[in-house]
Amino acid sequence: MTDAIYPQVRIVTVRLLNPETVERVMNLILATEGVRRVILNGPRLPPTITTGPAKGQPNIHEMRRTVKMGEQDVEMQVHVGTILLELENRDVIPAIKAACEAGFGEMQWYLQEGRYMKTEPSLVDYAKYGPYADKAIIGMADPSSKKGPTIIQGIK
Amino acid sequence: MAYKPQYGPGSSIVAENRRKQMDPSKKLEKLRDISDEDVVLLMGHRAPGAAYPTAHPPLAEQQEPDCPVRKLVVPIDGAKAGDRVRFIQFADSMYNAPCHPYQRSYVEAYRYRGCDPGTLSGRQIIECRERDLEKIAKELVGTELFDPARTGIRGSTVHGHSLRLAEDGMMFDMMQRCILDKKANMVKYVKNQNSEPLDKEVKVGKPMDEKWLKAHTTIFHSLVGTSFRSDAEYVEYVQRVHSLRTKYGYVPEE
Repeated sequence: MTDAIYPQVRIVTVRLLNPETVERVMNLILATEGVRRVILNGPRLPPTITTGPAKGQPNIHEMRRTVKMGEQDVEMQVHVGTILLELENRDVIPAIKAACEAGFGEMQWYLQEGRYMKTEPSLVDYAKYGPYADKAIIGMADPSSKKGPTIIQGIK
Repeated sequence: MAYKPQYGPGSSIVAENRRKQMDPSKKLEKLRDISDEDVVLLMGHRAPGAAYPTAHPPLAEQQEPDCPVRKLVVPIDGAKAGDRVRFIQFADSMYNAPCHPYQRSYVEAYRYRGCDPGTLSGRQIIECRERDLEKIAKELVGTELFDPARTGIRGSTVHGHSLRLAEDGMMFDMMQRCILDKKANMVKYVKNQNSEPLDKEVKVGKPMDEKWLKAHTTIFHSLVGTSFRSDAEYVEYVQRVHSLRTKYGYVPEE
């Protein structure tokens, strides 16, 4: 769950982003040192083929690649289209805009301020994940997933 | 006076393209050469060169009942030979793809005999006897109905119609069946429509440029193409259909 006192922003681009663009932009954004949490949103890129006669075979996909954010390796599981950020305070927003301008280059993008992460677990969350689920990541990722959130290190 | 079909309303370029594609008297512009073998590889129903598997004996060998309709309707080649019914399915991007799911079904119903087109929100499937399907598929891929970047040949996991494009202008494909070779500016299929890896790449041509797509698309898009509201005739027609349907629902007295 997110704490309502922290501001949140959403960065949306006109195109879905290549992993190298995500890496470049995210490293610039993380260097601003004002980001608490990040969700990279977009359509999923499954590791194996999910339907049809080739079901179960590895899904070779250019966009499913491991990138480096800070000193951490992050495997891209989605084709990123939206970046959600939870910030320490609103003062960091101009720096994030500058990072986006430098990182995206000529690609069109916009940044919106609002509330994009869940603040309270819903009844459906309770039904899906049970009473002992990690409330820190409900609404951001699947708490029952064996892969937890990635903690980005080496940026401060 | 003989009936002359109008195919659709509208005064915009999108409406004009829709009418042009649907009208069987107008020839579709051929843009690329796809070999018969490549079409077979893309669909993945049989190995190239293999005989057509059959679902029933040829009609000539069957005891056909004495039926006036059967005498009236000439069977297509695949039905004569007893071929299986097979399919090809397309996903079309909302970003100015040359054809789109509803339009495809109209086009195929007007232009081809013995086929079963079906539209599902973001994709369109056409089913037909195998050897006839191959001829139809060759035309669908080789003409102005197809753009290598904005149209995908996808049997399953078709998601992409309403998504933003990738940075290189390709429509999103969860299974990445085709890739853009940037050096040659050529789209190559590396998997068949069922996501099975191909032994050899199938080249389907260069992606068309934005100007061509905007001039040849049959889908309205207010941001990247022609907006629906800019076509007053089309809006009037749709409003009339909506109004009549609604009034009929209440079964008016007059």
